[in-house]
Amino acid sequence: MIPVQHNPKHTTTNMNTQLRHLSLVLALLVSSATTYAADKLKVVATIPDLADIVRQIGGDRVEVTTICKGLENAHLVTPKPSHLVAMSRADVLVQVGLSLETAFVPGLLEGAQNDKIQPGKPGFVNTSEGWQPLDVPKVLDRKFGDVHPQGNPHMNMSPKGGRQMAERVLAGLIAVDPGSKDGYETRFAEYSKKLEEAEKRWSEMEKPWAGRKVIVYHKEYDYLIEACGLKLVGSIEPKPGSAPTASSLAELIDMVKREKDVTIFTAPWSNNQAVARIVDESGSKVVELPNMCGGIPGTESWIGMMDLVHQRLSKVFGSGQAR
Amino acid sequence: MDSKTPFLFALPFTLSAPAWAQSTPFQTPGMPAQTYGAQASGQTDMSQANRFSSVFNPAFSFVGDFIADYRSGGGEPVGWDMNLRSLEVMAQAWVDPTAWAYFVANSDGEALNVEEGAVHYTGLGGHSTIRAGKFFIDFGKQMQTHVHELRTIERPLALRVLLGEEVKGSGIEWDDWVAAGDSTAIRWSIGAFDNLLPETAADFDPTLAASPSILDRKSAGDMNFTARLTGFTDVGANGTLQFGGSARVIPSMQATFEPSGDQQLDLSNTVVGADLTYGWKSDTGVNAFTIGGEYLISTGDTGFSITDVGGDGDPTNDTIAVDSSTLHGWFAFADYALDQNNSFGVQYSTVELPDGLQTSAYEADVYFTHNFSEFQRIRLDLTRYDPDDADASFRAAIQYSFIVGAHGHGVNW
Repeated sequence: MIPVQHNPKHTTTNMNTQLRHLSLVLALLVSSATTYAADKLKVVATIPDLADIVRQIGGDRVEVTTICKGLENAHLVTPKPSHLVAMSRADVLVQVGLSLETAFVPGLLEGAQNDKIQPGKPGFVNTSEGWQPLDVPKVLDRKFGDVHPQGNPHMNMSPKGGRQMAERVLAGLIAVDPGSKDGYETRFAEYSKKLEEAEKRWSEMEKPWAGRKVIVYHKEYDYLIEACGLKLVGSIEPKPGSAPTASSLAELIDMVKREKDVTIFTAPWSNNQAVARIVDESGSKVVELPNMCGGIPGTESWIGMMDLVHQRLSKVFGSGQAR
Repeated sequence: MDSKTPFLFALPFTLSAPAWAQSTPFQTPGMPAQTYGAQASGQTDMSQANRFSSVFNPAFSFVGDFIADYRSGGGEPVGWDMNLRSLEVMAQAWVDPTAWAYFVANSDGEALNVEEGAVHYTGLGGHSTIRAGKFFIDFGKQMQTHVHELRTIERPLALRVLLGEEVKGSGIEWDDWVAAGDSTAIRWSIGAFDNLLPETAADFDPTLAASPSILDRKSAGDMNFTARLTGFTDVGANGTLQFGGSARVIPSMQATFEPSGDQQLDLSNTVVGADLTYGWKSDTGVNAFTIGGEYLISTGDTGFSITDVGGDGDPTNDTIAVDSSTLHGWFAFADYALDQNNSFGVQYSTVELPDGLQTSAYEADVYFTHNFSEFQRIRLDLTRYDPDDADASFRAAIQYSFIVGAHGHGVNW
């Protein structure tokens, strides 16, 4: 064994060197963390549902700004200065499409003049691509109200919508940021597992609902109704986007009385006097459902929102095993 | 007539029925047939676009704006009137990847005037846009707006008096904006125009008043200019505040009185304005209120009157008196949306009149608007106009407007 001579000077020098190395490593870490933060993908999501899914798949790699708030009617959103600024700096714009966001996306795209997120560019992610929409009009005419040429745009309210949106978000993020592909795919796989579990849970809960009659205020629950086997018998808006009139309400109330046991689905933005009148005159039940994430406690995530939707409908229609 | 006669008469109509059924859904005798034309499928049979291809045609829209109103008091003609105030036709399309163009023509049922026709060049990069052509000036928040898009039936009194009912010119404008932080944008525009005098009102009589004009050919310094600087920012989750300053500069103009031939040269006028608007929307976006206003100052040569030389009533020796006093005016409004279809509001405006007599006028509006949809609207508007030098007048008006097709005018922020 070789004796080691204690040399205080050497120890001090060693400590100084170690400290220097440590500071260098710390500086590098801080610097790389700063660079990493600065390099985060800036994503603008039109609705909170998409924002949640982008965060689920993008993780720490993305910084997300949302335009719509959870209680709003997406067709009537007025953009704010912060939305214009966010769009001008965005690397990615994620939208539902099908003309859901026609009130604000075209104007913001024009004002922001950000070439990275223009339609056709990798940074423009249209999550309804490949979706089979309902209500595609056979004739395009304003006579039929505020029709959406490509079909019903409220696909975020379909229990299958989460998977569709997640797949498109994954493809979009990889297209813009292929270097982080592994991370996106890993997180997508985790999210996909959660979706699978949730879809099974919802599917069980929906079993007793088949054939139950429903009217809606605005045609934003058509996908939910179809997926749950419910029967849509009318809408309070006589034509999409048109407010009910005295005569249209009277006809609807007559129909609801004839049909019996009709439940009204309404969103927070549309739970108004017209709904109250139908309830008063027909004795129908009304269920207020979220139409986007984040407006009602417990709906901060898309899966959480769909859970809440199923819980509320279970209270009216009963439920299969899962709760 | 044998029993076959009705059949023979009917035969040609029966044979032609299929063709008619495709082109005329309903037609009464003696009325012209409606023809929709063949589908365009045959146009590209050779797989080449040609002079008859319509696939790149611009988006067309038209807007109708009708007014029925009753006026009383004020020495003006009183009683009921109904008129088509404006029928606007618009077309817009991308010219190429860097520019889009539009035109707006407007008719009051008689003449058709080109109100705007311009191209927006967006190829400079950043947020810059160059607009060239004929277009409405970027002054405050209302002068760039066509009348059918206003909250009230007419533009506020202070704008009408100090700037004109509509001010548009042929010229070029640079428009840009920058972000200031995460929730504020600052936008500006600078424009140079050939002529920014308001168009002469239809009831203007040049034998009774001096008419201002601007030379067609002039030095660069005598071009007319506009400038606007505006900022808008988020206020909390539901509010937006906008503030701005605008200027319209006419460095050189002249006034002429036709009966005497008197002319006043080297006149000028500058109007500046400061505006403030706050908008708020409820969490659901169904209820909303907007409050705002603008303060204007007009300097330089602000008005003209005719001096009856000799007091003889003979206009052929009359002269023009130029008023160079500084004029002030302002308006303020508040608007509340009860829901997505119904809103009501009030607007008040006052202005010093350019009559050299230091008189003022006041105008108050109360209105209710019902939107059948985003494409169709009806409005009830009650207006009281009260000038210092005359009796007050009252107007009750119903305005009906519709929009067909994709509609939207250039800058709206």
